[in-house]
Amino acid sequence: MPARTASEDFTKGLWKENPVFRHLLGMCPTLAVTNAMINGLAMGLATTFVLVLSSLVVSSIKKLIPSQVRIASYIVIIATFVTVADRFLAAFFPPISKNLGPYVPLIVVNCIILERQEAFSSKNTISRSLIDALGMSLGFLIALLVLSAIREILGSGTFFGQQVLGTWFEPWIIMVLPPGAFIALGILLGLANKIEEKSKSRR
Amino acid sequence: MSLSSRMAVVLTTVGVLAGAFLSSIGHLTKERIALNKQREIEKAIIQVVPGTSSNQSLYEEKKLTIYGGMDEEGALLGYAIHATGAGFQDEITFMLGTNIDLTRINSLAILEQKETPGLGAKITNMESFLRYWENKDCSQPLSLRKPAASSPEELSPSEINTITGATISSEAVLNTVNSSLVKTRELKEDGKLKLEGKNAR
Repeated sequence: MPARTASEDFTKGLWKENPVFRHLLGMCPTLAVTNAMINGLAMGLATTFVLVLSSLVVSSIKKLIPSQVRIASYIVIIATFVTVADRFLAAFFPPISKNLGPYVPLIVVNCIILERQEAFSSKNTISRSLIDALGMSLGFLIALLVLSAIREILGSGTFFGQQVLGTWFEPWIIMVLPPGAFIALGILLGLANKIEEKSKSRR
Repeated sequence: MSLSSRMAVVLTTVGVLAGAFLSSIGHLTKERIALNKQREIEKAIIQVVPGTSSNQSLYEEKKLTIYGGMDEEGALLGYAIHATGAGFQDEITFMLGTNIDLTRINSLAILEQKETPGLGAKITNMESFLRYWENKDCSQPLSLRKPAASSPEELSPSEINTITGATISSEAVLNTVNSSLVKTRELKEDGKLKLEGKNAR
């Protein structure tokens, strides 16, 4: 892996290696919880918490773990932080915990987290892993927010629960249902590909 | 150390440390989570049995808990029936408030549901569903009005308006309400819904 600067470690998660728009990872929470801004935000922050702490732990004990049992160890570490996030939400933000339902415990199987451990934290220093995890989490959070903004505005006429479209607007209920998630994500992915193509041809 | 024993040692250590950490987190949050649940139930009881200042759990089974709502002197004001029944996509949990004789419904509050957003999820909506449950005669089983009546005045005292496009969700709530009322009535006739302690009358 070529040596990179810290800012490159951070910004690659935002666009070039954006987990949702470029790598198509973590599709389950991306599609499932983006029906409202508050849910997208909570899921993004919970994933950030898990990813950053898991990367921190994995990169600091990477030399101690024999490669044969690394996946099992990573999963135990990730599952620990996921459970912490789940209990924390249930204790301090019960309405959000209720909205997200099983999707908080399901962060365990979010590919983004295991992929970052396998592809980055297990090979790089603690500080680089931390920066990488922060960048990736921010990229994921932004993707969730963009998707949930589109779905909430069109599907409920609201933004973070506040009415933004007038009473003339008949909400497109399909946008807050699963098909709306696929439609919105599909259009965004198409756009992302188009932008990438343009910027490549310019280079 | 051989590789296999090193693997065993690492996995055991990781597992034990994770377990110890989680048990302490579980211990720290347990009380608060239980408190949140209790608060939510108390709030719902006050909502469906107006004037409640304290409550007592009178009967409990898997999907049905009956609370007695009491005023400041400890006299019973009405029953709050916390019941869970099958909905369209997942179970629906609600709190139903009745008078002492179980002949009149004060109101209904939906606590948990995963019905279709925009359609079945309207069961949580005051305007399209919950207002039809206020002050209903429940001395006989309630029924659904379908197609929906245009104004609440057209409904008979034991009729509930169906949500247009969400008949299954409306029926699901209605059926659980009716069956939990039957059960509550049976329990009351058997004398199993008595207040305990110094507040008993």
